Amino acid sequence: MIFLAIRYLLERRRQTILTLLGVFFGTLAYVGVSGFFLGFRGYLIEQLVNNTPQIHIQARQDYLTEHQLDSDFYEKVFAHVFWRTPPAGVLGYMGVQNPQEWYARLRADPRVEAFSPSMTAPALFTQSKISVSASLIGCDPYQLSRVTSVASYMTEGQFTDIAAGGNRVILGDELMKRLGAAMDRFVTVTVGAGAPVPFKVVGRFYTGSRGADLMAYSAITDVQRLNGTPNRVNEIGVRLKDYHLSAEVASDWAALMPERTESWDQQNPNIFSVFRIQDSLRFSMILTVLIVAGFGIYNVLNMTVNQKRQDIAILRSMGYDTFEIVILFFSQGIILGVIGAICGLIAGYFLCRYLQTIQFMGGPMGGRQGFLHISLDPYIYLQAATMALLSASIASILPARAAGKLTPIDIIRQGG
Amino acid sequence: MGVAANHVFKSFGTPATRVLTDINLKIEDGEFVALTGRSGSGKSTLLYLLSSLDNPSQGQVIIGGQDVTKMTSEELHNFRNQKMGFVFQFHYLIAELTTIENVLMPAMKFEQAEKFRGRAEFLLEQCGLKEKLGRHPRQLSGGEQQRVAIVRSLIMSPKYLFADEPTGSLDTLNGDLVMKMIRDANRENRTTVVLVTHDSDFAEQADRQIKLVDGAIVID
Repeated sequence: MIFLAIRYLLERRRQTILTLLGVFFGTLAYVGVSGFFLGFRGYLIEQLVNNTPQIHIQARQDYLTEHQLDSDFYEKVFAHVFWRTPPAGVLGYMGVQNPQEWYARLRADPRVEAFSPSMTAPALFTQSKISVSASLIGCDPYQLSRVTSVASYMTEGQFTDIAAGGNRVILGDELMKRLGAAMDRFVTVTVGAGAPVPFKVVGRFYTGSRGADLMAYSAITDVQRLNGTPNRVNEIGVRLKDYHLSAEVASDWAALMPERTESWDQQNPNIFSVFRIQDSLRFSMILTVLIVAGFGIYNVLNMTVNQKRQDIAILRSMGYDTFEIVILFFSQGIILGVIGAICGLIAGYFLCRYLQTIQFMGGPMGGRQGFLHISLDPYIYLQAATMALLSASIASILPARAAGKLTPIDIIRQGG
Repeated sequence: MGVAANHVFKSFGTPATRVLTDINLKIEDGEFVALTGRSGSGKSTLLYLLSSLDNPSQGQVIIGGQDVTKMTSEELHNFRNQKMGFVFQFHYLIAELTTIENVLMPAMKFEQAEKFRGRAEFLLEQCGLKEKLGRHPRQLSGGEQQRVAIVRSLIMSPKYLFADEPTGSLDTLNGDLVMKMIRDANRENRTTVVLVTHDSDFAEQADRQIKLVDGAIVID
């Protein structure tokens, strides 16, 4: 019956081409739009995974409970304390309580690729009469370079120039501009109530993110000394061999140690909500296109069944059964779906390859010139083909079943 | 074995309108039977019942020793394909297929087109259509189209040929040609023929005439 189905399609060239175009554009749109959205998503995740540690181990923070301070104030006076305004807020710890134990654990964990302890302090940077408050991050630049891609954003100097210590600082581009600072000049840095200390500017970085560019990096020992907290670490950044495991590993560690342990995806749940919304939009948009294409197939087949009632009658009288008649019409829809989907997939692939050549402002974190990130994930193509075939199948089965139900005698009695 | 109808009744619609009443007949193998009668006498309805295209409201139809109402769908369709040929008043050729492809359609059910191609060409040559094997139905005259339809009904060498006014839409010359083909099939291959016709000349060419009046057999 496939032979006859093909003949039917070839005889109605215009209808066939129009129906094919419906499936073709539906599939093309799915591949193009999905490639764009998923490429962009991959790019964002790549930025999140590479620009910041995949797992943040930070100083413990507990929320105060109503009776947590009872014993400190009234233990010897009252057995029961009733607060008019109960104590509330965060019980903060100044640093990771036992960093050495963490280092040993991280070194022993085969899932860990690298880790980097850091000491971050809010600081006031002053150049002449201009003061800007910003975060000063103390780190081992060699270790941090293995955990994040921060070193790749250097526009002047080397990230490792701060390794030797000696009060050297690398400023973010935004901070540099606001201070009016320059390379090899000194800025004074004040942390808390401490005395201002001059730091030499040895580098500059630009990420394209204003928040990130309003930070500064220095050696961890310099920041610890400036902060008056020698040996203290308030964060350990971790990079895993497989970033997909981040949430799982972070949850494992959170159950074992008192520190706040969060993965990149746990810290950015909103992004995943956006991704879900993107997915819904993508699917509903493409589904609409494919439903329209499906209606095209349905209409054409319905019309064909009505026009070919005599053929159905004579085929049934020749011994062709219900199933064969269903196949005759169903296969037409499937042929349209398969050819439309194949053409759409091929055109979609080339469209994606073309989009990949379009330049846009945005290298890592949008800082440098780059190209559109378009996903060529085979899963997209599989989904597109499945949706096109599903749409074609659903649209074909109804007229095909109607054709299968026609009996020769009914057709003959109704005059064909 | 032949074809037999035992106490066959047929009604249509609600409330039921009886079209055939207590039909009893037996057609022997190789017989050429003409069903005659006025319009509305029930002759076409009887033909469709005898040929398994329709089921009786009551009674039994036996073809080749088998009760058609008790055959499975597969058995019935295979039986139609292998043992029966149908010719209708209108040719019912498939417009998208050529003459030879139309003729080979019954053979294509079991992918035997190549096996029957020689026979198809021979039969088409016999009825003067040798030069028109590659033509589409729209490129043939009405008489040629009906001749192609008859060749198609004979391609599987059926044991039974059911023809419903095959000459009804043809001129005399083409009508004669078509009748000759049917008669030849009956004489040369002992094909059992059941022919519905208005035309008394064509009916007289049959071995036996069965006349229906108001759904009942009045002359056999």
